[in-house]
Amino acid sequence: MIRLENVTKRYGTEIVAVRDASFDIPKGEFVFLVGPSGSGKSTLLRLINRQEKPERGEVWVAGRNINDLPQSRVPYLRRNMGNVFQDYKLLPNKTVFENVAFALEVIGKPRHVIDRQVPPVLDMVGLADMTDRFPNQLSGGEQQRVSIARAFVNRPLIMLADEPTGNLDPATGEGIMALLDDINQTGATVMMATHDHRVVNAMRRRVIQLDRGVIVRDQERGVYE
Amino acid sequence: MFARIAYAFREMWASFRRNLTLTAAAVLTSAIALLLVGTTFLIQRAFENLLVQWSGNVEMIVFVRSDATAEQVSLIDQTIRASPTIIDLSKLRYLDKAASYEEAKRIFAADPVTLSLLTPESIPSQFKVVPLTGDTTLVRSLSEQYRSLPGVEQVALAEDEFEVISTLSRFIRIVTLVMSLVLLVVAVGLIWNTIRTAMFARRREIEVMKLVGATNWFIRVPFMLEGLLQGFIGGAVSCGFLWLLNSAWTNGVSKFTPGTGISSLVVPSGYLSGVMIVLLAIGSLAGAVGSAIAASRFLEV
Repeated sequence: MIRLENVTKRYGTEIVAVRDASFDIPKGEFVFLVGPSGSGKSTLLRLINRQEKPERGEVWVAGRNINDLPQSRVPYLRRNMGNVFQDYKLLPNKTVFENVAFALEVIGKPRHVIDRQVPPVLDMVGLADMTDRFPNQLSGGEQQRVSIARAFVNRPLIMLADEPTGNLDPATGEGIMALLDDINQTGATVMMATHDHRVVNAMRRRVIQLDRGVIVRDQERGVYE
Repeated sequence: MFARIAYAFREMWASFRRNLTLTAAAVLTSAIALLLVGTTFLIQRAFENLLVQWSGNVEMIVFVRSDATAEQVSLIDQTIRASPTIIDLSKLRYLDKAASYEEAKRIFAADPVTLSLLTPESIPSQFKVVPLTGDTTLVRSLSEQYRSLPGVEQVALAEDEFEVISTLSRFIRIVTLVMSLVLLVVAVGLIWNTIRTAMFARRREIEVMKLVGATNWFIRVPFMLEGLLQGFIGGAVSCGFLWLLNSAWTNGVSKFTPGTGISSLVVPSGYLSGVMIVLLAIGSLAGAVGSAIAASRFLEV
């Protein structure tokens, strides 16, 4: 589903964010990207959703080399991916329902499709009774659930999560992880960058560890270390 | 498809209202710029009318030497009458010495020194020649021909004022055109800035839109519509002012006697409507283009 071949990405001429990274993630896998801040985890995710282009090497998503994907096709690539962030990136002037519906609205889905698809997803993330609240009326964990609902409402093949538990207390974080696990169970490939060793050790999934842009470990059923 | 169109218009209207002060500034600037563009068109047209009128009145005076013989005078008369397609023969007049002196007394009534130098004997008699054509080069070459005739003292061509008018109109046309172009650029810049501010205020939203796979056109179109609306309103306001301006002008000018140069400065209302349509089009186009440029800078994700 996601394959990197000898990918190098530099910012400017000095800073090497990712150096010569290669891995292959099959469909339906759950992968942790671990490593200290600045080790290149976020850059790897940004290379996969084409927010960045690699300097060298190839990025393959769903059997397609996205290096030479024309800019006009990038939106269609992204419709196959859900993105979850540490800071949720919710729109403060929209309700829970509208925030989730927004993801369908801007890809041109008609109203009746939106009304059909949004409620079950809100139900799945456990926010069925908060649809009319605004983000500032929700706790951090609830806001992250909205953002996961928004990422998942279009049933993407891939979920990219960048430190989704980074701002949450351990118990709330566990809830979020359970949710990502549920999504993974539906067949979506999940890639999650984190430096939260508790969640990594609890889940025992594949771990790719980065250090200063270099992959130093790629282990099935790994722990954080 | 309908969902997309409805979305675009809803977003346009929301953004338009959210930035009301900036929007007002952009609309006013573009209105002023477009008003100047429109005024340029009208001034140009008015001067053209005036030039047509004046060039019809270019008069040539052939002064005959005071010692010219009767044969020489009749030769001049024949020569002038030889080109009836260029010269308006019905207006051709010959002023003999007495008539010329009478005219001189009238012209130099306020200038007794000059008048005292003239006597009924020394004053040249003259032919008043009115050309049919407005073609000054043709008239000029004709005057050269008359000058070479024996007995001709001097040929005076009243084309100087014609030259003054056309130089003046050229000058005014360039000045107003440059000014309106500069203001038009300023207006596009202001609309551009309004849209940029609107987009900056919504950069989170745009970021989310990009990440969930909205196309650039989907994001851009509401902003372009907003710019188009601003430009269009600016154009409409400028049309209103232009109409008021032209009405006042027409009112003032129509008090002058018909047939004089001043009264020809009235611009026909058909031309005014044409200019108004052009202004609306320029305004809308400039607004849409300005905001498209502004939008592109935020879409490079």
